[in-house]
Amino acid sequence: MLTFKTYNRKKTVVYTGIIIVLLAFLMVRLVYIMVFESEYLGKKADEIHERERYIKAARGDITDINGNIIATNKTVCTISVIHSQIDDPEKVISVLSEKLSMDRDKIKELVEKVSAREKIKSNCPKEIGDEIREYNLSGVKVDEDYKRYYPYDEMASKVLGFTGADNQGIIGLEVQYEKYLKGKDGYILTETDAGGIELENVAEKRIESVKGNTLRTSIDINIQMYAQQAAEKVYTMKKARYVSIIMMNVNNGEIMAMTNVPEYNLNSPYELTDDLKQKGGKEQDMLNKMWRNQCINDTYEPGSTFKVITATAGLETGAVTLNDTFSCPGYKIVEDRRIRCHKTTGHGSETFVQATMNSCNPVFIEVGLRIGVDNFYEYLKKLGILSKTGVDLPGEASAIIHKKENVGQVELATMSFGQSFQITPLQLLRAVSAVINGGKLVTPHFAVSASDCEGKSVKDFQYKEISGVIKEETVNNMRYVLEKVVSEGGGKNGIVEGYDIGGKTATSQKLPRNSGKYISSFIGFAPASDPEVIAICIIDEPEGVYYGGTIAAPVIKELYENVLPYLNIDKSD
Amino acid sequence: MTENRNKKRNKKKTVSYFDYNLLFIIIFLIGFGLVMLYSTSSYTAQMKFGSSTYYLKKQIIAYMLGFAAMFLLIFVDYHVWKKFALWIYIGSLLSVLVVLSPLGVTLNGARRWINIGIGTVQPAEIVKLGLIIFLAFCIDRMSKGLRKAGIYIKLMLFVLVAVGMIFVITSNLSSAIIILGIGFVMLFVASPKYSHYVYTILAGAMCGGLFLLVEKLVLKSFRFNRFSVWLNPEEYAQSGGFQVLQALYAIGSGGILGKGLGNSIQKLGFVPEAQNDMIFTIICEELGLIGALAVIALFVFMIWRFMIIANNAPDLFGAMLVVGVLAHISLQVVLNIAVVTNTIPNTGVTLPLISYGGTSVLFIMCELGLVLSVSRRIRYEE
Repeated sequence: MLTFKTYNRKKTVVYTGIIIVLLAFLMVRLVYIMVFESEYLGKKADEIHERERYIKAARGDITDINGNIIATNKTVCTISVIHSQIDDPEKVISVLSEKLSMDRDKIKELVEKVSAREKIKSNCPKEIGDEIREYNLSGVKVDEDYKRYYPYDEMASKVLGFTGADNQGIIGLEVQYEKYLKGKDGYILTETDAGGIELENVAEKRIESVKGNTLRTSIDINIQMYAQQAAEKVYTMKKARYVSIIMMNVNNGEIMAMTNVPEYNLNSPYELTDDLKQKGGKEQDMLNKMWRNQCINDTYEPGSTFKVITATAGLETGAVTLNDTFSCPGYKIVEDRRIRCHKTTGHGSETFVQATMNSCNPVFIEVGLRIGVDNFYEYLKKLGILSKTGVDLPGEASAIIHKKENVGQVELATMSFGQSFQITPLQLLRAVSAVINGGKLVTPHFAVSASDCEGKSVKDFQYKEISGVIKEETVNNMRYVLEKVVSEGGGKNGIVEGYDIGGKTATSQKLPRNSGKYISSFIGFAPASDPEVIAICIIDEPEGVYYGGTIAAPVIKELYENVLPYLNIDKSD
Repeated sequence: MTENRNKKRNKKKTVSYFDYNLLFIIIFLIGFGLVMLYSTSSYTAQMKFGSSTYYLKKQIIAYMLGFAAMFLLIFVDYHVWKKFALWIYIGSLLSVLVVLSPLGVTLNGARRWINIGIGTVQPAEIVKLGLIIFLAFCIDRMSKGLRKAGIYIKLMLFVLVAVGMIFVITSNLSSAIIILGIGFVMLFVASPKYSHYVYTILAGAMCGGLFLLVEKLVLKSFRFNRFSVWLNPEEYAQSGGFQVLQALYAIGSGGILGKGLGNSIQKLGFVPEAQNDMIFTIICEELGLIGALAVIALFVFMIWRFMIIANNAPDLFGAMLVVGVLAHISLQVVLNIAVVTNTIPNTGVTLPLISYGGTSVLFIMCELGLVLSVSRRIRYEE
């Protein structure tokens, strides 16, 4: 019998040795993986095991200056069915169709559809969701969710804006202050198997959501409502295309009201308003039109209201004094152009104060030409016409204005009485504010402060102000002249019993000039001697009488009659 | 014959040796393996078959058969197998051919199993046992000639026939490698020479390299892709790297002390087929580095016992049987752990006695029966 020889034994030992060396090497490799790479690999493994379920954060409220809530959240329910878990489809169908008042056949179709999860209805009121939950139907899921809710529906719709499906701001203040409003989502971390089925008995990590900050704005709902009502009234009466009103604190730029009628319902922002529906057009274009904030997103030819700026520049540069006398023959010839006054027979002999009260174009042309292009543009710049106002709303438009080097005598002449360029209503309001508030160019704005859900202040918003753009003397002269415009001149319809009002009217012909379409406007402030508030009303394409002094001034008058006493602004002696 | 039997009886009276150490390790590993198999497979078994003990039950049945076979083999004189060696070898090769018949079963895209009515059998496992017995028999017959290259090549051809059939017919690369390894190691131990084997390895390495080059450039097959995956599994996470990556996550997340028995998360479907080739990763995850090293230590001890038994075997045939089993089990352990730790490219090798798999269990138990049977014949020198 053959036996295992010494060399056989030796080789067995050699082989076993090799294997032991290999295993030792693998042990080292294991030590490396399980000690040194353990943290990295463990984390990677956790990442694939963990599933995050978000707890949606409630969006912060928006309040007016007095803390009245103007945008908040409402709990709504989403009803869905899980096909595989339904054991009594008949009952499910009948309960859901009854409670949701939906078509039975449609629900039947959804219930019988073989899918992981079928949504029956979203955004249904919490009460109905609770009722459905009461039935305890297996396979029917009621999930709660937040939906943005605007208690005042249409109020300040074009300022506030609204939110989208994920509760994110889409336009208006909602998107401008997204950072503050959105809050922080919480989440529940659960571990799952490879199929995504959550494991029981594994401790879940839960991080609660944090509600977004409350945004306090300078809007005052009472003033806003007054403004909106006044605008609506004239909108209906004059069958205008739209009517805008802005009211602002003249000294710090806080906007108290901004309305653009027709407003739309913030709780259904994708439903066209009735008049838009009648006009027809592509749905998305119509919606964009409906959401547009004309005070900020659109520009217009200011017309005579702009004479405030020309007068200011004239007084500042010494091109004119209040008592300079002029003669208006009803037109003015500049180079080869004959530019007419609105009063074709002419105003005759008049002082500068009278010329302003008469809104006399030839006089302002003369003043403008005296000022000269350089100085004129200097003051446009100082009064913020050449830049955006910096208002805290998205999509602000810039002025459309001649380049300085292209401005000749004719251009300067027309610009002097507010034609041949376009600005936003808010730019004009801001410029006039600077003229009458003592020469301070403010930043118009809405946001005042943000605070967390416990009321602790998170941020006080600060805005840029430039002081001393206008001399004190000019400020006083302009207050005087503009008060005269209202008390004795073209703005008589803006007189408010018991108050001194300063202001200027405008009636601008829309382009093309022979279209017969006008924009009537009035800008007025109170009290005239020491202004606190300023407001502008713009009526786009009124039917019938279209003079700013006749139709726009009464709107501001009506607003002031309500608001000035409300704001406790002292009556004049 | 009678004389022989008397002789045996005499020996039994004077020296009765049995390697209880090895038997103990075997039983311990099997027990441990069943616990780990249950831990690893219960969740997926519940999900797939509605019974958490689906895999466990089948494995226990395989072990019961395995134990019966092992004890039978322990008490049967292993020399009996010499007479049947050639037939066993031919029979095992025929079983591979059965795969091509209608009895062949395709699982996971590979046709590697045959249906025997009560379950499926993997012929590759049969071939491993068949080759060990047949090669031990040949070596016993031709030991003198093994010095000659001619005889070596002749015997190597027997090995290559089995390797080729497994590789070509069942396209099972890993089993082919193991069978090649078993044959090579048995011939290496049997021969007094080293040079043949060094040349073989060099030639093999060259062939392998050439093979890969052809695969890459001409066939663009998935086998070369394995190499890319091996070098950078995270980049191929969506394709071939998934299994390896999941295995690494399991091993790595175990840390030093592990998550505790039963607490693996990777076994919940993340590591594909965790109860088969990848069971070691779950051992790592649940029992940590300590547990993993302990398991390797057990295998080292087991291999050590094989070596002792081989070196003390009463005759060349018995010793070669043990060397064959030693080669088989040691290669599978090394390859399995090397694969799951991404030390070598991915290829499916089970971890002996622990991985799920009926045929593997049954035939390894047979092999262990042979080894223990050999150990019974060891004589102490007086």
